Amino acid sequence: MTALADPGARLEIDWTRCDGHGLCAALLPDRITRDEWGFPVIDGRPVPHADEKAVRRAVTVCPALALRLTKP
Amino acid sequence: MSAATDVRPVSSAADTWTIGAPRLLAGLDALPSLNLAAHTAIHGAPPAMDRDRLLTLLDASRLSGRGGAGFPLASKLRALHGTHLRVIVNGSESEPASFKDRTLLRRTPHLVLDGAVAVAAALQAREVVVAVHDAAAHESVRRAISERPGRGSIRLVRRDGRFVGGEARALVRGIDGGPTVPPGRREHPGLTGNLVSNAETFAQAAILLRRGARGFAETGTHDEPGTVLLTIGGGVARPGVVEAPIGTPLGILLTAAQAAPATAVVAGGYHGSWIHPFPDIRVSRAGLAAAGGSLGAGVLYVVDDATCGLGELAQVTGWLAAQSAKQCGPCRFGLPALAADVAALAAGQPAALSQAFAHARAVDGRGACSHPDGAVRFASSGLHVLQDEIDAHRRGGCGRRVLGRLPITGGSR
Repeated sequence: MTALADPGARLEIDWTRCDGHGLCAALLPDRITRDEWGFPVIDGRPVPHADEKAVRRAVTVCPALALRLTKP
Repeated sequence: MSAATDVRPVSSAADTWTIGAPRLLAGLDALPSLNLAAHTAIHGAPPAMDRDRLLTLLDASRLSGRGGAGFPLASKLRALHGTHLRVIVNGSESEPASFKDRTLLRRTPHLVLDGAVAVAAALQAREVVVAVHDAAAHESVRRAISERPGRGSIRLVRRDGRFVGGEARALVRGIDGGPTVPPGRREHPGLTGNLVSNAETFAQAAILLRRGARGFAETGTHDEPGTVLLTIGGGVARPGVVEAPIGTPLGILLTAAQAAPATAVVAGGYHGSWIHPFPDIRVSRAGLAAAGGSLGAGVLYVVDDATCGLGELAQVTGWLAAQSAKQCGPCRFGLPALAADVAALAAGQPAALSQAFAHARAVDGRGACSHPDGAVRFASSGLHVLQDEIDAHRRGGCGRRVLGRLPITGGSR
């Protein structure tokens, strides 16, 4: 796929796994906030290539393996 | 409209009635249920069909799923992947307000089986699985399968399960021996070779195969040909499972059901919407969508002016919260919070209104299945339609009791 056609990767949460630990929100405060019960609220923005490293780190440290970066 | 003097919930002995000529319900005015001989005498033998011809028919008739989501059946067929295909009849219908699929399975099971078997043959699927929650439906389908020559290719499973157990992917997991809860990934069941649709959809397919696209379109609207099965209940004197041409005006259905003067109508079911009961609303997918509702699973329940509408809303919202599989945090914590807000509104606390909408937004779209989305749609639409009632409760109450027009028991187990 060419760079032009690349719509970017997206963050997704597997809600059956997420326990609201909050590490993702701590690592990516400008992308992820937490609701009143502590569960992550992700904005729908695609993840540009430049941010992918930081986002992947958050994906890796999620203790519940609930965070995913999906490419279309 | 006459007042509902004898308002009964739709029961297991649900009446059936029709507007226009019956198709799915043909014969049920005279017989309690149709065995194979009666079924064949009324409907004739189903024509065999290959995949191409079936798809042509489905495209021409625009037959869409009648379980709630309304996805075109032809698209579901085309989305199937793999070589080990299964056709799954979703007969779970775990919603207390809906009775149409259970009525078909209990009273005219061969029509449902005909549709499923014909689709399976056209797809060269390995088996047909009929999944039910309900004991009477299970017994009826078991007896029907034993009457049929091709019985070996039909498997009947009964899974207990709550409301979300009927969700297509949860159902497939249950059939395969797993837990009847939705999986974490939003993956279409077609990708694993499973064609899942509800009982009415297969019964409609059986009618379509016999009548052809032209015959099928002799009633209904241009874009949505055919008839639809509705469960009509609540504040009506004549509740029942009703077959009517798609596009029949709401006013005609409510008059025929002898509805009491209505405050609102719950359309589509408990994942559907509250709407104002305007009589000229067309009961079709397009017509109800234009009125801010949805056809959903074909539920039309009247909330009449004798009951406390806000209390009815609070009761069902509480039930929906209790139906969460409690897998996903926003649904597990958010739906009870939303239900508490609606209950507080009914108790006359006006500040709960903005809180209810905030909690609704916090839950919407944040789960593995569409249960939170559907519950939020139900609650939010109710709060919009019941503004006068909310005002009355703010001023000290509406003076009416909750009569239970919207049932919260009687979903099949």
